[in-house]
Amino acid sequence: MHLKYKMIVPLVLVLSAIMLYPLAFSGWLSFQDYRLTRIDEVHPVGLENYRFVATDPAFLNAMRNTLTFVFGAVTLELILGLSLALLVQRLRIMRGFVRSILLAPMFITPIAVGLMFRFLLSSEIGVVSHYLGLLGLSVDWFGPQMALLTIILIDVWQWTPFMLLMFLAGLEALPKAPFEAARVDGAGPWLTFSRITLPMLMPVIVVALIIRALDAFKVFEYVFATTRGGPGDQTVTIMYFIYQTGFRFFRMGEAAAAAVMLIAVILVLVVALVKFSKIDRSKG
Amino acid sequence: MNTLDRRMIIPPVASALALAAGIASAQEINVIIEEVPDYDIVRELTEQFMADNPDITVTFDAMPFDAMRDRILTSSLAPTATYDIIIIDNPWSEEFANAGYLEPLDGYIAATEGYDYDDFVPALADISVVGGATYGVPYYNYALGLIVRQDIFDERGLETPKTIEDYQTVVADLTEGDFYGAAMQPQRGYKIMEEWKNWLYANGGELFDADGNIIINNEAAVTALEQYIETFNAAAPPNSGSWGFDEALRAVASGSAATMLSYNWMLPALNAEGGMAGDLAGNFALHEVPGGKAVLGLWSWGITANSENKDAAWEYISWISGPEVAKQRVIMGGAPVRTSVLNDPEVWEQGFGEDYYTVLAGILEDAAPLSSGNNAEELIEVVGTELSAAVSGQKTAQEALDDAAAGIERANR
Repeated sequence: MHLKYKMIVPLVLVLSAIMLYPLAFSGWLSFQDYRLTRIDEVHPVGLENYRFVATDPAFLNAMRNTLTFVFGAVTLELILGLSLALLVQRLRIMRGFVRSILLAPMFITPIAVGLMFRFLLSSEIGVVSHYLGLLGLSVDWFGPQMALLTIILIDVWQWTPFMLLMFLAGLEALPKAPFEAARVDGAGPWLTFSRITLPMLMPVIVVALIIRALDAFKVFEYVFATTRGGPGDQTVTIMYFIYQTGFRFFRMGEAAAAAVMLIAVILVLVVALVKFSKIDRSKG
Repeated sequence: MNTLDRRMIIPPVASALALAAGIASAQEINVIIEEVPDYDIVRELTEQFMADNPDITVTFDAMPFDAMRDRILTSSLAPTATYDIIIIDNPWSEEFANAGYLEPLDGYIAATEGYDYDDFVPALADISVVGGATYGVPYYNYALGLIVRQDIFDERGLETPKTIEDYQTVVADLTEGDFYGAAMQPQRGYKIMEEWKNWLYANGGELFDADGNIIINNEAAVTALEQYIETFNAAAPPNSGSWGFDEALRAVASGSAATMLSYNWMLPALNAEGGMAGDLAGNFALHEVPGGKAVLGLWSWGITANSENKDAAWEYISWISGPEVAKQRVIMGGAPVRTSVLNDPEVWEQGFGEDYYTVLAGILEDAAPLSSGNNAEELIEVVGTELSAAVSGQKTAQEALDDAAAGIERANR
């Protein structure tokens, strides 16, 4: 074997052990009637798990909730992150301090963030509810009208800093010449932003969107810490559904089928996003 | 070797052999247990067990409820058990027994002199009997009762509600301004199911009939759910649709609600001087749930089938759940499971008073578990989700219960 192939053997082995094997095992599981409490009765069932999951109203609802969550959270994070990045880039004083403060939420573990907001927004002892009450406002943060939006807002609070970090790095790496030329030509702030900043920043935006969307699909902790999927099934996300099916009801075959279907949905969305960004750039 | 040499050598060799024998017979048993007040008592009592049985070391792995089920599963699937003793929540009994995770205890029970198995409250002991074999012995009960602010009831001359209709009227009347008649727990899943099922019992309903047919969407169940929703809208605090146990307890303890349906052993905690209720301590009383029949909860001690220390595990279980220590545990504040303990004047005197134990005995006399069968955990979640949807106005009571029936059918396929 050539030395260059030998050099990558350890990496291939490690990746196979930690990624390929679990993935292949999940794929195999999804075609089995595999219940952890009936481990001696495991047998192949073909596409039955996929048929069952795809027609399960709970799964379809969880997928709908997850897509709403991903779209809502990532869009808000994109807008807020980009706006904050443009502001912070122009900051002349206390730059380091402001950046540190704005990035802080990202470093808290999500389950702690979920618990924190559960108490902050509690109708009984929550600080936020208390001050809103003083203003004569009563908001049922985890009620049927607000619960999913509340989960989205919690995610926005925690992960907008990630967008900010990405965009700030992107903005600071942009060449200065086009901006100077635009200023000389008398272009206003909006024209400069829409015709120069945004197109040049597009590769960073696409990467940031993909990373955040992939991460947002995994939302679990906020749901677990705040609503447990309720009221009704309004905040059941796909990961919460898989957790319940696999680790509470021990139906591993169905949980694996749901996970494979989630991967398929994510792949379609990522490919579409990448393709869209290429078309957009070729137009530009 | 002369005599002196032999004298010098024999004692150390004998000691070493004794030590080796001791090491060989010393056993460590691992126990998975939930972090609740009863665990603190068990841990304290266990010091005595280890002092009396120096060859057995008991190690507890205490954790919150949510972390227990998958830990028990992984331990049970391994070739040798991580946990020799597990505590079993009542919805898990049949599932774990049928999966082969649990060791039948009948032989141990029969061979243990003075254990007096028949002394356990029958409704509690029966939960761990699956297919004629006994897979667990009761640890502590968490049967539900009605906890009320007795001072307010006395002041207003209110009778303890005996029916759901009485309860609806009383809590609606008590609701005034920022004070609410009922702190309810409509959180999706287990909590709402645990609370609402008392209402279902009061209306004569159940999940299944005697032949195993699903009857969760019959008239009795619909009436029970409509009554529950009416009460929630009339007497529970606003924005409390996602409340679980913690929130409801806080509302009662802080004096903003007059009643709650909760675990019977919350009464001593609420009435404890310097406890969570502050100045309100002593004003709470326990009654049977309106309608009479209560939801019964139980944690049992069980031995894992793949444990290598089954005898030592039973040695410990038979000690901690035996008549003497069970009495001591209850005097120290634990939840009773033995009839003799419930009726013991010494326990009344040193524990929480005769009234509490008499009411509790009444509750246990007519109580039934939340759910049973191989899929009990899933059924609770399925029905609890639909109940929550109805309370939050997403579905009518009939729609929600029809969907619950369909969900049960899917889960049991």
